[in-house]
Amino acid sequence: MSILIGGNTNVLIQGITGKEGSRACKEMLAYGTKVLAGVTPGKGGMKTEEGVPVFNSVKEAVVQFPHINTALVVVPAQFVLNAAKESIEAKIPLINILTEKVSVADVAVIIALARAAEVRIVGPSSVGIMSPGKVKIGSIGSGGIASRIFTPGQVGVISKSGGMTAEVSRILTDAGIGQSTVVGIGGDILIASDFVDIALLFERDGQTSAVVIFGEVGGTYEEKLAEAIEQKKITKPVIALIAGKFAETLPQDTILGHAGAIVSKGRGSASSKIEALQKAGALIAQTPEDIPGLVKQVV
Amino acid sequence: MKLFEYQGKELFKKHGIRVPVGTLLDNVRDIDLNFPVVLKSQVLSGDRKKKGGIKIVERKEDFLEKLEELFRKEIDGELPKTILVEEKVNFEKEWYLSFSYDTDLKAPVIAVSEYGGAGVQTADVIPLEFKLDSWSLPKLRVSPPLQEVARSLLELFQKENALLAEINPLFELRDGSFIAGDAKVILDDNVADPSFRPFLDLPGDIAILASGGGASLINLDALMRYGGKPANYVEYSGNPPASVVEELTINALSKPGLKGCWTVGGTANFTDIYETMLGFVQGLRKTSPKPLYPIVVRRDGPRQKEAFDMLKQVAKEEGYDFHLYGPETPMAESAKIITTLAYGA
Repeated sequence: MSILIGGNTNVLIQGITGKEGSRACKEMLAYGTKVLAGVTPGKGGMKTEEGVPVFNSVKEAVVQFPHINTALVVVPAQFVLNAAKESIEAKIPLINILTEKVSVADVAVIIALARAAEVRIVGPSSVGIMSPGKVKIGSIGSGGIASRIFTPGQVGVISKSGGMTAEVSRILTDAGIGQSTVVGIGGDILIASDFVDIALLFERDGQTSAVVIFGEVGGTYEEKLAEAIEQKKITKPVIALIAGKFAETLPQDTILGHAGAIVSKGRGSASSKIEALQKAGALIAQTPEDIPGLVKQVV
Repeated sequence: MKLFEYQGKELFKKHGIRVPVGTLLDNVRDIDLNFPVVLKSQVLSGDRKKKGGIKIVERKEDFLEKLEELFRKEIDGELPKTILVEEKVNFEKEWYLSFSYDTDLKAPVIAVSEYGGAGVQTADVIPLEFKLDSWSLPKLRVSPPLQEVARSLLELFQKENALLAEINPLFELRDGSFIAGDAKVILDDNVADPSFRPFLDLPGDIAILASGGGASLINLDALMRYGGKPANYVEYSGNPPASVVEELTINALSKPGLKGCWTVGGTANFTDIYETMLGFVQGLRKTSPKPLYPIVVRRDGPRQKEAFDMLKQVAKEEGYDFHLYGPETPMAESAKIITTLAYGA
């Protein structure tokens, strides 16, 4: 089994007629993902090039297609809160938000609403979710590169960085190690699903026997994973690559690549994350190319 | 986007939080304030007090000399453009008060402490309460005037889209009223400046054009491990048009004394490598003097092959010292290669 997505995944794309939305739709259909419907307010009644019906609202779409169980949000940043509210209200159990640069205030509200409604959100700024050989949602593995870099197997991958989901998976694939599911959780300050949330799913997944994470300076999500390992909530081996040690001489509060990659002293710094994870028993990779060797030590 | 103290205090005033009587100066001149006054260097660095950025002037006769001195004082490499002069406040007690987002709780929090100055370490951190779809203040066991300051600061935090709104110290006066001694406000770039791309000057001599939020960090780590000294940090992610890469290239290569240039990224999911490399070449052409130092390119992703064919052609016709690597060469390996080429074996 994969986590989050699989053979029963039936997708609704919010923002399906936009540039990013129509590209994601095309790519997902080409990979075999079932995209049942899309939403763009004001464009209800039309169909996409590939014949996917478009609705004015999530509510209308789920009436026609009650099997929808996954929403992909690719609307512009200022509309993400309302789009997410619609799919949360429709109780769609998995909502993957691809849009970048959503205000932190909106993300905080989305997280609180999703908690109350007991639905899962992955993102924002997520590159998507990939279950190699089966199904993918989002922009992950686009442009025909998916078959070259992702292969089915037993390693779960969780990454704050979209680019590193592909890089880490390619390195694993080249070393003959396949992936169960690859999840881009986004590098924002607030992320709805963090390393612990996703690692807990891998912990219960029969196909997964080890978890590789890509983390970076800023925030406390890596430290929280270390705590979960220490508390034995996560018992499968964890291999971690943590970026941003170079930033330790930079002024505090400097923002690096992702919005959440904020130069911090103490808790939040790359060293703090590496130390915490190492102490908890995770294996630390110095470079992406170290990862396959470490995986082979534990699997 | 981190604001200067005086900008933060303007927002405080706008939202009804009292600040000391003062004037912002951009040159050395006399002022009409009651002494003693406090001179505060307007730089973004923290710990200004420890670093000599805050001076108390007791007597008017010393004012101009102290002011001039402070205008000339660099703090963490930053020279102040302005100095805030404020009448010294007589206070009974110093508090700490802030609103921010907590990544453990994934929610906005208020932090309060009756030991100002010490910062957030000693503060009680309490999540805000979520009702329907907005946040409100939790119950605080503090005086009504302090509750009022907290309400005003929360209003600022929400309406100005701040990531941090901090008053430290918050002076409590004898009559129980409050004055904000300092202001630290960080605004959410996603709202204040959505086109923001970090560009940091670093003290080294290898220019870097890194792609990918995460890969850029891992690559700078790798470069430093091999002894390479980065001249800058910049990152372009997503699928930027050639013009964006062109401008970043010009920026990164404008630094004198460069010994090499490293264009690096992981396996792109959807970045058009041809388009971004076109921007890189346009930037090279607009850089003078012409970059003759080694240029290492390590890229992979959509249209990588076409991009490399184009780069080979450009190198042949225009004489650039390109060293091109695809996915068969690890990113870290290319860090080693640029370091060796730039500094000699």
